Amino acid sequence: MAQDEILRCHELRKAFGDLVAVADVGFAIAAGETYGLLGPNGAGKTTTISMIAGILDRDGGEVLVCGRPHGPSSTWGKRRIGYVPQELALYPDLTARENLRFFARLHGLGRAEARRRIDEVLAVVGLTGRAEDAVKEFSGGMKRRLNLGVGLLHRPPLLILDEPTAGVDPQSRNAILESVAALAGEGTAILYTTHYMEEAERLCDRIGILDLGRIRAEGTRRELVALVGELDRITLTVEGPRVVPSLQALPEVRAATGHEGRVEVMVEDAGRALPRVLGAATDAGVTVRAVEVHEPNLESVFLHLTGKALRD
Amino acid sequence: MTAATAMTIARAAGAIAWANLVRLFRDRTNVFFVVIFPIVLIMVLGLSFGSGFRPPLGVVNGDGGPRATELVRALEAAGHRIVPVSGDAEARDAVEHGRLSGALIVPAGYDRALRAYTPVTLALIGRDEPAAHRLGAALNAVVTRVTMPARAAAYARSAGVSGGFDELVARAEAAPAPGVTVAVSAAGAAGPSPLGGYEVAATSQLLLFMFLTSLNAASAVIETRSLGISRRMYAAPVPVGVILLGEAAGRVAVALLQGLVIMAGSALLFGVRWGDPAGAALLLVAFALVSGGAAMLLGAAARTGQQANALGLLLALGLAAAGGAMAPLEFFPAPMRLLAHVTPHAWALDGFAELLRGDAGLAGVLPQLGVLTGYAAALLALGAWRLRAALTR
Ligand SMILES: Nc1ncnc2c1ncn2[C@@H]1O[C@H](COP(=O)(O)OP(=O)(O)O)[C@@H](O)[C@H]1O
Ligand SMILES: [Mg+2]
Repeated sequence: MAQDEILRCHELRKAFGDLVAVADVGFAIAAGETYGLLGPNGAGKTTTISMIAGILDRDGGEVLVCGRPHGPSSTWGKRRIGYVPQELALYPDLTARENLRFFARLHGLGRAEARRRIDEVLAVVGLTGRAEDAVKEFSGGMKRRLNLGVGLLHRPPLLILDEPTAGVDPQSRNAILESVAALAGEGTAILYTTHYMEEAERLCDRIGILDLGRIRAEGTRRELVALVGELDRITLTVEGPRVVPSLQALPEVRAATGHEGRVEVMVEDAGRALPRVLGAATDAGVTVRAVEVHEPNLESVFLHLTGKALRD
Repeated sequence: MTAATAMTIARAAGAIAWANLVRLFRDRTNVFFVVIFPIVLIMVLGLSFGSGFRPPLGVVNGDGGPRATELVRALEAAGHRIVPVSGDAEARDAVEHGRLSGALIVPAGYDRALRAYTPVTLALIGRDEPAAHRLGAALNAVVTRVTMPARAAAYARSAGVSGGFDELVARAEAAPAPGVTVAVSAAGAAGPSPLGGYEVAATSQLLLFMFLTSLNAASAVIETRSLGISRRMYAAPVPVGVILLGEAAGRVAVALLQGLVIMAGSALLFGVRWGDPAGAALLLVAFALVSGGAAMLLGAAARTGQQANALGLLLALGLAAAGGAMAPLEFFPAPMRLLAHVTPHAWALDGFAELLRGDAGLAGVLPQLGVLTGYAAALLALGAWRLRAALTR
């Protein structure tokens, strides 16, 4: 184990009946590192995170928190984890301060310490002025920020964030991303799940690409993009019948997916492939309204690895 | 267990219980349903049951003469609450329906018969129950005393003393008579005395509302689950047992608070004396544990808050009705009274009745406390088991 390794898990497995939600997941996170689990809805992000947080019994595998085996009955490990669930786990009829106090007591903070930490956390998430308001009067973004704040109360060395920006305004999203970056800067190990490629690219030191309960690839953004090689991505805005099968049949095309008039095509060299792609589209009887050519990014990586788009 | 662990457990469980109470009263309508509504209901029911739960004595004064009026006054002076009734049929109906404890018929011609020195019979309509016989004896004593001068006048006339009826009665009243009185002293315990109207109303509403409020608040458990707060609690460094303890404490605290409001309110406003303090406190706690356990089970087993609320209302009203917390158990036929003791309400009612009659102490309600503790243990264990499954699923 590396000196500053906060989390290590391997061979995590969980099935719900016949459905294997998490098949064989493992990774490690060091202090101050932000690890992203990137995958579409249903990929198994929440299930993975729940097993790591110790709120879901696992079928197999192992979790080590700060070097010690961790599971649902380990309060030692839970003291070192800040868990921010995907849902807004807050009492809507209590104020922000009352919610924070409630969870501070659950984490065993004494009265004076709780009061001090609550004020600090309120400042971090920018809700000092709204501390005495009922949560149900908050905007979606404010609720998200408070949801994050609850996870910070006990200064955990490992922070687990499950899609912490789902459904918020750009301003709150920015605030949340900045808070997370600041926490990582202070040495917190962060496990961050998202299906937003931009967030993973901006925030995460390393990223695991999760699909159908398996990590398909893992590495820094640069390493992942290198997996795609020199592939370019062409986005077509089209009108008309389905064109994806005929595009997939072209030798220049490595992968193609389509959804609601947007077709994503992975090609080796956009300059050479573009005329063939457009020709095939015309032959298939579709009208091409717009064409964009992109450098490789995580979206391309995901498409390359799984044959489908991250958001569908 | 170290002191630090105990502190952690107390903090966590206390926080969960406290959140439950705060949230209950954050909804202002609950202030009405927990505080105002039951007290008003006790007032209305207490008034309609009447003070002492003893209906007044009806008197049909079919005569209206001076001697008849004298008799009615004497009855009043002897402490009977008298209601004039116009006819026999009305009197009979009122007694049958419990509006009167009995009805005394003073027949037309009462005055004349006394003056004519002929015997008169006063009919007393009463139900076939010990209280009616006691009433008959009490009325007999008054009537005998009031008509004593008339008897003396009859004797004087037969002994040849001259003078009219009124004159002889006046002389008899003035004569110093060597009286014989009976001084009563008691040995052994008295039989059960009936409870007052407010006492009946307060005990029944206490149990009805403790159960109702507790089950109604059970939807909070479901909300906590559906909001994902229980998952988050589980992520905190507290054993799942402590979370269950906190939820149970929250449920019991709600029931206990409702009970205290009704106990204190009825004592302060309506003068209800709850009897032996230790016995009353323990019965209250035991029934709060029963109510809390039922709420815990409902909160763990129901799928949605609406489902829990509907089921809770049905259970709370049904059990209260079956257990005698709506209509007093005395009105139930014997087999129903036996069946009523399937509900914890009937046992708690029995216990409170023992205490309210003023002669039972803690020892007198031990059987009821035992049964209620058994119910509480079973319900809390079941509830904890179901909730644990729901939390860790
Ligand atoms: N409690 C559950 N019971 C049955 N299936 C579940 C349960 N939780 C998750 N799943 C299934 O497991 C898969 C992974 O879900 P999840 O981990 O929530 O994905 P993500 O968080 O990446 O969107 C999905 O197919 C989901 O439907
Ligand atoms: Mg999820």
